[in-house]
Amino acid sequence: MAVKLIDSNFGKLRIIKIIGNKSLVKKLFSLGIYEGGEIEKKFSYKKGPVIVKVLNSTVALGKNMAEKIIVEEEK
Amino acid sequence: MKIILVGNPNVGKSIVFSYLTGYSAISSNYPGTTVDILKGKTKFGSFECEIIDIPGCYSLEGESVAEKVASEIINSKNYDFIFNVVDSNNLERNLFLTLELMELKKPMIIIMTKADIARNKGIDIDYKKLSEILNIKIFPVIATVGVGFDNIKNQIEDIFSSKKILENSLNIPKDSLEKWKLIGDISRKVQKIVHKHPSILEELEEITTTPSTAIPFAFLVVFISFYLIRFIGESLIAYFLDPLFNNYYMPLVERFSSYFKDAFLKNIIFSNNINPLEGFSVLTTGLYIPFVVVLPYVFSFYFVLTILEDIGYLPRLAIILDRFSHKIGLHGYGTIPMIMGMGCKVPGIFSLRILETEREKIIAASLLFLISPCVPQTAMIFSLFAKYPFIYMFLLFAYIVLVGIIASFVLNRILKGDSSDLFIEIPPYHMPVFKNIFLKIKVRITQFILEAVPLVIFGIFIINILSILNIVDFLSKIFSKLSIIFSLPSKTASIFMIGFLKKDVAISLLIPFNLSLKEILVSSFFLVTYLPCLASIFVLLKELGKKTTIFVIFFNLFISLFFTKIFWIILSFII
Repeated sequence: MAVKLIDSNFGKLRIIKIIGNKSLVKKLFSLGIYEGGEIEKKFSYKKGPVIVKVLNSTVALGKNMAEKIIVEEEK
Repeated sequence: MKIILVGNPNVGKSIVFSYLTGYSAISSNYPGTTVDILKGKTKFGSFECEIIDIPGCYSLEGESVAEKVASEIINSKNYDFIFNVVDSNNLERNLFLTLELMELKKPMIIIMTKADIARNKGIDIDYKKLSEILNIKIFPVIATVGVGFDNIKNQIEDIFSSKKILENSLNIPKDSLEKWKLIGDISRKVQKIVHKHPSILEELEEITTTPSTAIPFAFLVVFISFYLIRFIGESLIAYFLDPLFNNYYMPLVERFSSYFKDAFLKNIIFSNNINPLEGFSVLTTGLYIPFVVVLPYVFSFYFVLTILEDIGYLPRLAIILDRFSHKIGLHGYGTIPMIMGMGCKVPGIFSLRILETEREKIIAASLLFLISPCVPQTAMIFSLFAKYPFIYMFLLFAYIVLVGIIASFVLNRILKGDSSDLFIEIPPYHMPVFKNIFLKIKVRITQFILEAVPLVIFGIFIINILSILNIVDFLSKIFSKLSIIFSLPSKTASIFMIGFLKKDVAISLLIPFNLSLKEILVSSFFLVTYLPCLASIFVLLKELGKKTTIFVIFFNLFISLFFTKIFWIILSFII
């Protein structure tokens, strides 16, 4: 089921869609966050930030960004 | 030979730069330390080389200011060679930039840092195979201890001489998505990751990032830090510097002063009272304040900050502060300039560059000047309040923070726009390397001594001349009218003028005035907040332009005057 990253469960997730302008997509892209890619949600504060593991690094995303990333739980 | 040093943020470029050039660049364990472009000269065999350290970037199409600066230089192709610095812990992400660099078809080598940390984590990289696939020479190094640099120095001459333009055997796809696929293929071939038991550092990671434990932990860290800073500073003064000054230096000055017969000259150099905390003697007060009162705190502050910085705690603090920061129009990373500014405003202002919008920069700059007195100022406040119960100093700092928060609430309202979002890479924790820490402390303390000492002496000199010529009295009379309005002690008029030149010095000069507790509280608050020091005004002008600088200065002056008055009223009820 597709949910916003901010609402999703912890664990491995696949990115289905990034809703946002080109500059946001580019920004996320250079750190390895892209449609079709994998991330692991590690920690999250109630209204952000969300902390995810992507490739081998840990990245903190603010609330607004975490709302624009649509993910699906890996089976 | 012009060489550029390129890599992702926080891969250890600055430290590689230091090893290659012998210059000491400041490195820290969080992204974005290098916002300036550093240049250094060195010699590899017969080649005279200029090495340029450019800001870290994740790709050549980055959006932040630092990344734009970086990609402009890289795309200009106005250099002969690329040294690509790659973090072994993060091969995949770093390779994205590497592939982009390879597309430029410039000769390059790869320096792989943190090889030791990667191995301890269970990351095993086949450097030889990676080198074959990319057709680029790879040098693994452990930059913190300097292992591996000899290899570079020994082999680089041959690489330069061969002048071979590297032909990529690798077919690099134009499309970014395809690039990530290629990176996946490469890393599967050269990298093996063995799962290891979480180390202490990784467990610390859990504690400091899980919301339920991270917040209490942050309070603990801040509390311990302040306690340590005060403890180290006070101990250095009480057991070492103060006895040294009083037992060995003072007798010398006393004897020296007895040779002076001319009253005017004597007054200028020794003032009417030779005691460093009572008179304004160039030879006693002028040295006692910077060396005995301020220096120990400069040392203890940087000692603690540098350890926190090197371990990598600051970005975690930024995450915790993110939600609150949005209320005042910043995101969590906007707190980094404030933390840096507690050392000195100048690096604090430089680190404003990690913020993206003009609006955030204005709020952060204003808050930086209001809320975080620099170390010398803080040290002066510590020593001013040493004889009073701790609660009064706490009251002062709490009031400063409160006013800062109110001011940024106001700015958040009156400036158009919204705060942007937090987006940072959190570096893994590192064990602090003491060599690195002491190098940094040395650089920072040397800067302090070279800047502050001459200014304190100059300031005291000016005060003595002004008071001999009765100018101080004259100014005090004018100032007293103003001071009645804002409840500031009028005899300190001269101090407020000196304060513009050097704020920390100004606070220190309050000591010999014999002020009441209430006067000390109000004057300290005013001196901390009223105007940025001259050095930081210049840097702010350079960074944010005339209009913004003037706005920030006047906004802060207004806030400062207004809240000085309020402070006086509040204190009238308490004290």
